[in-house]
Amino acid sequence: MADTPAVATASTAPGPGLEIFSEAPAPEPRRPRVLLVGTAMAAGAAATGVLAMVALYVQLRDETIGSGRTWLPEDANVELTPGNMGLVSLVMSMVTVAWAVYALRNNDRVHAGLAILVSMTFGAAFITDTWYFWTQAGLVVGRDPQAVLIYAITGASVAMVAAGMIFLLVMAFRALGGQLTGRASEGVEAAALFWYVTIAVCAVVWYAIYVTK
Amino acid sequence: MTVTEAPRDVQDAAAVDIEPASPTGLAALVGSGDPRAIGNLFVGTSLLFLLVTAVTGLLVGFEQVDVEKADNILSSDTLSQVVTLHSISGLFLVVLPLLLGIATAVVPLQIGASTVAFPRASAAGYWSFLVGGGLLLASYALNGGPFGGDADGVALFIVAFVLVLVALCVATVSVVTTVVALRAPGMTLRRTPLFSWSMLVAGSIWLLTLPVLAGILVLSYVDLTWGTGFMGGANGLYSRIMWVFWQPTLYAFAIPALGIIADIVPVFAQRRHQRHAVAMFAIGLFGALSFGAWANVAVTGLFDEIDPQPTPWLYKGPWVAVSFIIVVPLLALLGLWALTLTTGKVRLGSPLLFALVAGTLLLVGVAGGVGTAIDQLDVDGTTWMTAQSYAVLLAALTAGFGALAYWGPKLYGRTLSEASTRLTATLLLAGTVVLVVPYAIAGLLDQPRLLDFNLDAIDGDVSTIETLNTVSAIGGVIVVLGLLLGILGVVGALIGRKGTSPGDDPWAGHTLEWATSSPPPVGNFASLPEITSEAPLYDARHAALRTTTEASA
Repeated sequence: MADTPAVATASTAPGPGLEIFSEAPAPEPRRPRVLLVGTAMAAGAAATGVLAMVALYVQLRDETIGSGRTWLPEDANVELTPGNMGLVSLVMSMVTVAWAVYALRNNDRVHAGLAILVSMTFGAAFITDTWYFWTQAGLVVGRDPQAVLIYAITGASVAMVAAGMIFLLVMAFRALGGQLTGRASEGVEAAALFWYVTIAVCAVVWYAIYVTK
Repeated sequence: MTVTEAPRDVQDAAAVDIEPASPTGLAALVGSGDPRAIGNLFVGTSLLFLLVTAVTGLLVGFEQVDVEKADNILSSDTLSQVVTLHSISGLFLVVLPLLLGIATAVVPLQIGASTVAFPRASAAGYWSFLVGGGLLLASYALNGGPFGGDADGVALFIVAFVLVLVALCVATVSVVTTVVALRAPGMTLRRTPLFSWSMLVAGSIWLLTLPVLAGILVLSYVDLTWGTGFMGGANGLYSRIMWVFWQPTLYAFAIPALGIIADIVPVFAQRRHQRHAVAMFAIGLFGALSFGAWANVAVTGLFDEIDPQPTPWLYKGPWVAVSFIIVVPLLALLGLWALTLTTGKVRLGSPLLFALVAGTLLLVGVAGGVGTAIDQLDVDGTTWMTAQSYAVLLAALTAGFGALAYWGPKLYGRTLSEASTRLTATLLLAGTVVLVVPYAIAGLLDQPRLLDFNLDAIDGDVSTIETLNTVSAIGGVIVVLGLLLGILGVVGALIGRKGTSPGDDPWAGHTLEWATSSPPPVGNFASLPEITSEAPLYDARHAALRTTTEASA
């Protein structure tokens, strides 16, 4: 989002053909950028909601094990593999999202679009991994109270990833449409910030659900 | 949807040349992205919901007049639902949206911005809040809500409540981002007016608190709809929610009240706020200490055979410490306001009266919290805690009415009737004291809160308890009268029939919102004065005065 008038920006970075802007007013003091700040707030709030559910899961698991019971039902099948695959997919997407930001800052919209597309593919891979886990977990919602927690928490992490993918997709369209440029790459940076927060949340969910079981 | 909003940036030439057709009537209202319109919608809707809170409060109060006789006015099942409707609507449909609405309209003016950071998100937040609030009330009508007998009604309640929480979070993000990212040149964070600062603090805490409640509600919904009922079903639902009405989380909803008082006091003392930086720190500390999601008791025991755990010492120690320490920033602020008033030339106006009442009630509420934390008083689970919640939330509500009286010229272009608002403030103070003090005394006599009511638990004479409850109910009536009077004044001003048309700066204000017309134009400011301190208009006024004095000398 271009928060600074083009004229003011041009006057701060004079180059060939920009002399006509020499009388332009000085740019406003640099402020934290609106979309980036708003995204940080929203991402923090979304992460808090999911982490609250994880905290509840950990508390109940601790109490149950403390009472001498086992946490998961005997026929449950919470394998580490789908969780690992999902998290590795997201970790790889960290690189591609950074690539998208880098490419756009260098006015390379094609590579920015390509990087976002690859990032979304990694996001889709995470969702597929989680879906596979749901089909294999052997937990019955109406029978096992743990199932409610596990499905709700992993479902919430999938929802965050899906929201991040939509955010990235919108920014990809805006970049390819010319609304985001090297000087105004805030939209993709904001989407990247949300994506990183999402990955951090997914990492916590991975540890709580798949590793500690 | 057509959206009309103030431009945040310089628009490109093509956009300026095209004159879009301006929507009128309902279309203009629905499509409006003007922060003043959105703020007024939030305020108006919260005052409408306040009627529900008031009626349910009166029912609850009079139900307790005769504690030995069950089903006085309401059956026991209905009573439980009415109690939860009273508390949930009071906080989430009245206090929070009222303060957010005021902030949405006032914060951009205070910091010299042309609009809020995300006007369309704010508008979406309001309309979602309206739909969510309506569905929440409808769920009770369908025998839903906590303790409801209809499973679909209970599920609808949870969905509606989550929608309300999401809507409030969206509006909060917009306000907080405005303070962080849209301050005018020269307005450093250190020079931010105290109401805007308090909204930054409060919004940050709300964004860390409301999603926790939403997460718990999502789990409750999944469990209620498909699960085994380990979250307690309809009867256990309220016990997952009620931590937000307890300290320290309760205090988070009163943080903007501190900012409102801090902006009103120096203007009516005609003196700069003393130790502005200390006041900022105190508000920040109060906010940080009021973050209480860590101390919630959302759920204990997944299986029936596991006994619920007592509050772990790990939580209990910090909880007690916070209950005591949070008094310090409040006392510091009260001291600074006293200093500002005693060293200034006080004009007694209705906003100042509201501010003084709100400050007093907040002190009572926070002091009540100290009492709750003292084990020897043994008031945990009694009406002492009810009294504390009333004191804090009515302090926030009173401050909200003070803000409506103070910023009325900017919100709806009129000042409220001085006599009417003074009477409102007096009724709120008197009513709250009469409501709260007997409840607190009854709590000391071991009267349990209504939802845990057990006649055998009462330590003292039952007739004494009934007398105290009767006095409390009368206090409730006085509060409701005060609120009705306040609502009438605001609604009259909103539709332009009550109050007087003020000048641009009727109070000789200190901060930027008084540098523009009343009500402000689209875009808020034609030009901004130089900002070299937290009170730019106060500086400009005194600089002009000095120049005049020197010239005449």
